[in-house]
Formats: sequence, C-alpha cells, structure tokens
Amino acid sequence: MITLIDGLSLGSIYALIALGYTMVYGIAKMLNFAHGDVIMVGAYAIVITLSYSVSPIVAIVASIVLCTLLGIVIEKVAYKPLRGASPLAVLITAIGVSYFLQGVAQLVFGSQPKPVASVWRQLPAIPSLNDLGITTGAAVTLVCGVIIMVALTLFIKCTKTGRAMLAVSEDRGAAVLMGINVNKIITVTFAVGSALAAFAGMFYLFQIPNAEPTLGAMPGITAFTAAVIGGIGSIPGAMVGGILLGVVEKLCLASPLSSYTVAIKFSLLIVILLVKPTGLLGKITREKV
Amino acid sequence: MKKLLALALVAVMALAMFACGSTDNYAAKNTEYFIGGTGPLTGDASSYGISVQNGAKLAIEKINANGGLNGKNFKFDIKDDQAAADKASSAYDQLFEAGMQISFGSVTSGSCEAFAAKAVNDNLFFMTPSASADICIANDNAFRVCFGDPDQGILAAEELTANFTKIGAIYDESDTYSSGIYEAFDAKMKELGVEYTTKTFNAENKLDFSTQVEALKDCDVIFLPIYYTEAGLIAKAAVAKGCDAVLFGCDGLDGVAGQIDETVTNVIKYITPFDVNSTDANVAEFVAAYETAYGVKPDQFAADGYDVVMAIYEAMKAAGVDDVTIDPDTLCEKVKAAITADDFTFTGVTGTMTWDLSGAATKVPVIIELNK
Amino acid sequence: MKNFKIKHFINYALVGALLIFGVIMHFTGSLRPSTAQLFAQIGYGIILAVSLNLVVGFLGELSLGHAGFMCVGAYIGGLFAVMLKQSGLDMKLPVLIIAMIVGGLFAALFGFIIGLPSLRLKGDYLAIVTLAFGEIVRNIFMNQKVFGGAKGLTTGSLIYDTRQSPTLFIVVFIVAIIMLALVQNLVRSKHGRAITAIRDNEIAAKAMGINVTFYKLFVFIVAAFFAGCAGVIYAHTTTPVLYSFFSYNYSIEILVMVVLGGMGSITGSIISAVFITAINFMLQSQLSGDLASLKNVVYAVILVIVVIFSNAPALKSFRERYSISAFFERFRKHDASKRRDDEAKWARVPSKIKMDALLSTDMAPDSDASIHGDISANDKGGSK
Repeated sequence: MITLIDGLSLGSIYALIALGYTMVYGIAKMLNFAHGDVIMVGAYAIVITLSYSVSPIVAIVASIVLCTLLGIVIEKVAYKPLRGASPLAVLITAIGVSYFLQGVAQLVFGSQPKPVASVWRQLPAIPSLNDLGITTGAAVTLVCGVIIMVALTLFIKCTKTGRAMLAVSEDRGAAVLMGINVNKIITVTFAVGSALAAFAGMFYLFQIPNAEPTLGAMPGITAFTAAVIGGIGSIPGAMVGGILLGVVEKLCLASPLSSYTVAIKFSLLIVILLVKPTGLLGKITREKV
Repeated sequence: MKKLLALALVAVMALAMFACGSTDNYAAKNTEYFIGGTGPLTGDASSYGISVQNGAKLAIEKINANGGLNGKNFKFDIKDDQAAADKASSAYDQLFEAGMQISFGSVTSGSCEAFAAKAVNDNLFFMTPSASADICIANDNAFRVCFGDPDQGILAAEELTANFTKIGAIYDESDTYSSGIYEAFDAKMKELGVEYTTKTFNAENKLDFSTQVEALKDCDVIFLPIYYTEAGLIAKAAVAKGCDAVLFGCDGLDGVAGQIDETVTNVIKYITPFDVNSTDANVAEFVAAYETAYGVKPDQFAADGYDVVMAIYEAMKAAGVDDVTIDPDTLCEKVKAAITADDFTFTGVTGTMTWDLSGAATKVPVIIELNK
Repeated sequence: MKNFKIKHFINYALVGALLIFGVIMHFTGSLRPSTAQLFAQIGYGIILAVSLNLVVGFLGELSLGHAGFMCVGAYIGGLFAVMLKQSGLDMKLPVLIIAMIVGGLFAALFGFIIGLPSLRLKGDYLAIVTLAFGEIVRNIFMNQKVFGGAKGLTTGSLIYDTRQSPTLFIVVFIVAIIMLALVQNLVRSKHGRAITAIRDNEIAAKAMGINVTFYKLFVFIVAAFFAGCAGVIYAHTTTPVLYSFFSYNYSIEILVMVVLGGMGSITGSIISAVFITAINFMLQSQLSGDLASLKNVVYAVILVIVVIFSNAPALKSFRERYSISAFFERFRKHDASKRRDDEAKWARVPSKIKMDALLSTDMAPDSDASIHGDISANDKGGSK
C-alpha cells in the first residue's frame, strides 16, 4: 500500500514532465530532447534564488519566467531555422541543446549536487493524509498535476490560441491557409511547454531535494516513455502513463526483482505498444496511400 | 555526399595529429616533472573527478611553492574520461605521448582498470586516489591510497554485528565501488551467520529512495556502501518516512555533510581515514587552503587526490630522482623501490600509510560520527 | 572500364586511404599509439554508422537502440574471446574473427527480436521501443555475474596494446571495407530497391508484391550483426566492457553520425563517423583539467551549427554551391556525354519522386506525419 503511494508521488512527477513532452510533440511534431534539461534549469533557478533566502513564491516566479524565456530562445535559435527540414535534423539539434544546457550548468553551478534550502521541503502538514503515509509534497504534486492537466486541456480547447495550436497539429498547411501564424503558435507552444518544465522542476524538488547538471536526463527519458505509453500527443494519456510508470517502478523496487526494474519498466512499454500501437489513449490514425 | 567544410576540418585535424612522429622517450623534452591521470570531469560522476583534481592541484601548488623536487617544478594534467573505460585508454595514450612520467591513474574503478591495462605495458608508476577495486592494482606498477573495497566491507560487517541487532543495507548494484564493498560485506555477514535485509538501486533510479527506506524503516542501522550524494537523499527520505536508524557508510560517505541540513536527525557514521573537522595541524591546514581556493570544504576524493600527489612526491624524493627527463620505466623502478622500502611511511591528510608490492596502502581506518 | 563510376568506389577509397595512411605510418615508425587507438575507434565508428544508416536511411525506421546491439556483441563476443584465450587458443587474429562472428550472430538474434515490433509500430513509437530495448539489454547484462556484474567484463587479455602492436586498426578497417562491400551491393541490388521502396511508401511497396515483413526483419538483422561486430572490436580496444557505456546516449551519438552525414548516404556516414570520433578525441586531448567542462558546450555548439548549416531550408542555395557533391560535380561536368548516359539509365527506373507525384493526388492530410524527412510528399513545411 505504502509502495503504491510512493509510486503515485513519483509517478506524478513523471506525469508532469510527460505533459511537457506530449504538448510539444503534439503541436510541433518533434521530440524535444532538451525538455529534461529545461527542468534542470528550472530546478537550479529555485535552488539559487532560495539560497538568497527570499520567499518561495519569488523563487517559483523566477523559475517560471526563466524557463519560459529559455524555451522561447531555444526555439528561435535552434529549432526555427530548421522548420521545414528533416525532423531528424531537429531531433539532433534538440540533443545538441540538451548537451549545451548540461555543459553550461556544470560550468556555472559546478557538478556537485546542490541541495535545495530546507524551507522548500517544510510544507505544512496535512495530518489526515500524512497518517496514511502520503507526504504533503506528493499530495501537492498530484493535485497540481491534475489541475495543470485540466487547465491545459481547457486552454487548448477553449482559447483562440489553443484552437490554433490544435489546427497546427492537425494540418500545418491548412492552418497556414486559414490565416494562422504557424511560427507564432509554435513559439507559444514552446513557451507553454517550458513553463510546464518549470513546474516539473518545482515539484521534482519537493521529492528529490537536489539539483545537479544531469538531473533532467533519466527522469526525462522515463517521462518520455510515459508520454508514449499514454499515447504521445494526448494530454490525459501523459498523466496516466506517468503515474503508471511511477507505480510500476516502485512496485518493482519493492519486489525481489528490483535489479531488473529498468528492464521491467521498459518491457511494459514494449508490451503496451504491441497491444496498442499508439499508446493507451492515443488516436489511431488510419494510414492511406 | 556532405559538406566540404566537414571534409576540410577532418583533413586539418588529421594533419595536425600526424604532424609529429614518435620517439622512444616522450619525456625527453620535459622541463618539469609531469604527473598525469584521468577522471570524470563531465557527466554523472564528475563531482568525484573534480574533487580529485582540486585536491591534487592544491598539492602541486604547495610542492612548487616549496621549490619542487631539486629545484624542478611539477606539471599536472587530468583528462576527462567521463568514467568510461575507452576514454580512459585514449587519454592514457594522449598523456603518455605528452610526456607523462608518473601518474595518479584514474578516479573511478572501471576507468582505472583500462588505465592499468595500458600502464603495465609501459611500466608506468601510478597511484590511484580512489579506484578501490582490487583489479586496478593487480600489477606491480600500480598503487592506491584509498582503502580497498573488500577491507571496508569486512570491517563494516564486524562493526555492525557487534553493535546492532536489526541490520539493513542499501547499495548501488550498477556501481563498482558500491557492489564491491557489498559483496565483501555480504560474504562476511554470511560467515558470521547474521541475518539482514538488503535493498538495491541503480544508476537509473538513484533519485527517489522512498521504497528502499520504507522497507528498512524498522532497522536499527542501515549500511550504506555508497557515495554521499545518494546518501544525502536517503537521509532525507528517512526523515520523510520517520525512520530513525543509524546510517553507517564507508569512505564514499565523506562529504555527506554538504548534502543534508538541520532536518536530518539520524546519526550518520562512516569509516574514513579523513575527517574534515580533525584538529590535526596537517589536516586543518589542508582544509583551510582548500576552502580558500575553491570555496567549499574538501571531501574524501579531494583529500585522496591531495595525498596521492604528496605521496608520489615524497617517494620520488626518497628515491633520489634528480633528472627531469627521466623515462617512465626507470622512474617506476626507482619509485617502486623507494615506496615499498621498510622505512618509508607517508603521513598525509588521510592518515599515516605504508605500501608493499601488492599496491594497497596499509592505514588505520577510523569510524567517525558526523558532527552536524 | 565501361561501368566505372566514382561514386561506387569513393567509400572504399575513403576507408582504404585511412588504412593505407595508417599502415605507411606504422611501418615508418611514426604512428603514435594514440593515433592507432583513434583509428580503431574511427573504424568501429564507421561500422556502427553505416549499419545504422541501413535502418534509418534506407529502411526509414528511426532506431535509438543501436548501442544495445553493440552491447550484446561486446559482452557475448568479449566473453567468448576470453574463454577461447583461456582454453589455450592464443592467436590474436583468429580469436578476434571467431569472436566477431559469434558476437555478431548473437546481436543479429537480438536484431530479429527488435525487428518484430517494427512490423507493427511506426515512427516515434518504434523509436522509443528501440530505445527501451537498448536499456533493457544493458540492464540485463549488468545483472549477470558471468559478465562481471557492475564491475564489467574484464577483457584485459584481449587488448591489442597500441604501443607494441598497434595493428588492431588494420583489422578494423578491413572489416569495415568488407562491410561496405556487402552493404553497398545490398542497397544497389533488387533487395536494396525493395528496402527503399518500403521507406518511401510501405503500403505501395506491399501492393507491388514486396515482402515487407521479410525485408524489415532482414535489415534489422544485418544492421544488428554489424553493430555486434563493432561491439566485439570495442571489447578488444579496452577493458572492462562496462554496461554504462552502451546507454541511449551512445545510440544517439551514432544517430548523430548518420544524420550529419545524410540519411541514405554511406559516404556521408563514413565522413561524419571520422569527423565525430576525431572531434571527440581532439576535445578530450585539448580540453583537459579545468577546461574539461567546456567540452560538452563546444561539442554541442559544433553540433547545432553543423546541423543548421547542413539542413536549414534557408541555406539551401549556399549548400548547393559549396557542398562536397557540388565540388565533385565540377570535375565531372566536362564529361557531359557520360553523364547523360547515366541519367538515361536511371530514368528507366521509376524513381521515388515520380512515385510520390503519381500517388500524391489522393494523399490524405496525415496528422501523424512520420518523422522521416525524406518521405516529403506528405510533410508540409510550416514556412510555406
């Protein structure tokens, strides 16, 4: 039971990261390998601002602003020149950006993990939950994850920009003909995706209170796996996939097969995709000649 | 069919590489003694490599400030191996061709094994600061200053069974150091006939330890043959889970002080030859100098890096080396003879130690309790 | 020679030039051990890049698990070679060759296994499955005591010491040339056309009577075999064979070689394998000590700049003037009669462009656009 709850709290982080992946993929049709590293930057932003003993609110705002700007800059510098080029080329620049961010983080912050100030982890206790073994951090992550998911869905369904995003993801050519500024929409997508990364970095620090240059790599890959399990492009799918992976990882670690956790986690992905080739909640597109 | 640019670059680099031919003694043109080695300076393990680098550089500065060896200074270079064996062997060749005469090997065990496989052919003397797997010092030219993995595992097993009843352990299956200690610990525990519980993790899930701590919540003591970054996370997970077990680690735990804060109430003990809070004048001087230079307190790796360079220097002095262009082979024989001599003892910041031909340092381990 | 075409031999010439260069240097005694080591690394880099190009460039499936095949080869072939050595067969070359075949075959078996999902999955979904496969393989090998567990497989007895006998690179380059011959003839054969037909349009290829199942599995098996061979060579260059080396990061590095060189271009793969390996080597030797942390930044900047220069649509005219193919074109121009001959011959083969034009009239807008750029018929650029 406790393991399940631990899995939920880890899964909620994966889910948050997966939301960012799925959002960018859904609209820009690219695997943003640098997403994990934007999370890392967001986490460092919080750790550094908190070390000047400012209020956590300031740290959160700083982190979100920084990540959003970073997302826009990355998009403009590294991805935009390649619009219309082979998507694999964009994948490679994304990897380049990922190395770059890691390298710069190491140059600036050093490679020693930086612990976040203890104020970040001292959340108010919620006795009824805490007695069940659910930490406040996990509860907050989970609730916020759901809120963000709903907000994101509403944003895409109900606002003009959101619907434009949807149009771009459906058919870029037709969207241009309808008078949508595709470049602007993609920039907005990256801005939103990076703001989500800032949130992910924030919640990551609730449970894993260290920031280091390679922080984004492994959770990033796991979250990407989660996004694919849920059906990449599908917002609720990312949530489901993330939580599923978190729970499975924790169950494996608690079982005698703990050495094979990574293998089991990824095997689950393969099995799910073999049964449902577009993920749990992915749209099935019929292929035509 | 791709870019002219790429081809041109490749051509220029190829020419640059082939510009000079080989000679038998690459050190013939040296004007300083050249100590080289490899370590992870980027990537996951980079904090260890950088600590060793910092410690070693401090020692070099100190030696050179005091006039070097017979008036000749020391030169120091560390190449990045990203803790990967293939990069360590490339780096070995690069260093050797640049005139490296004596070495501190590699920081991590896997790299050091690759380094050792190369160094044995040139009979190059090296003393590793922190590669604790026994295979790294299997050859006669290889030495180390840190404890070996098995020694620490056995010591920990004896210590824990003597003082605690409910014992748990968490170790990193994907790490040579951690699994090396654990294997010896496990064997000793079986020999002593003591039951205990083990939980594992590996490089892919070394961030969230709630499950492992949950399973070992009721233990009196948790044995942590791991590095301090993960130990810090485990300590915090223990707080979150309300687990008050003693956390008992090995020399890798040194540096954990920087990873925890006042919320951690667990007693943390570890086997170490180096105590950053020691009142010993030698240690205090090193800690102060390190803090001035790098702004942080030194950890075990930094202390080992410092000691390796100092030990090599002392051994070269004892061997009466006076030729700055000495070739590595001759130097190795001289230093080896000097360092294994009965009257050679070295007192560094990680204790007083002696060596024999096995390459392992004989020194007294101390178990210290973290002073928070 | 009537059918002589430069482009058929440029690949052999490139690898052969490196080989001859190395051999001459070796016999004149001016080959540095580090260069011999670099040559061996370049050699297996070429094998990995060309074999991955077979999957990514020719079959058109994105694979992020190539290091996994290499891992299988390195562990199994490495262990096999160590056992051969222990059983008394103390001849370096035969051990290497036998181990390479064994390692390659085991990797090919895994290639078959990973080829199976490719029958059902497409694009990014297959990419993530290959990535998952690579991670699974390495996790499993790490947990096997027989392969040394976390300590890795010690292959010290296999190492070709680059100082006393820096000859491994000769073997590696010869293997690379053999592989080039096989791959080049494969892609130019009837089978090769079937494979590119699957890439260009799977359903159309099926309709033409091409056995898609067979060819997909076949390509994965061949690519895995060569990656396994590269793994065995790797086990002969360094000790220990450590599971952590074969992470998805390394798969990505191989992919970078392929994409940088141009998908479907073998020559490109060779050049960029040399380029990437050499650049890593140079960065390692030049940026040591305190400068090491700059390495990733410099590498990343080079990578982004090169990719943007070679792929950005805005820079197309620049590339057409200064690319390597344009460079060669200039030499060929004066031989106009032969050129026309070539073109006439190729015109008889229905090219992929024509096929696309033929079929694109009833092409539905595809919201799940595949990430393979060369299927450009349904890939609508945003900047239109």
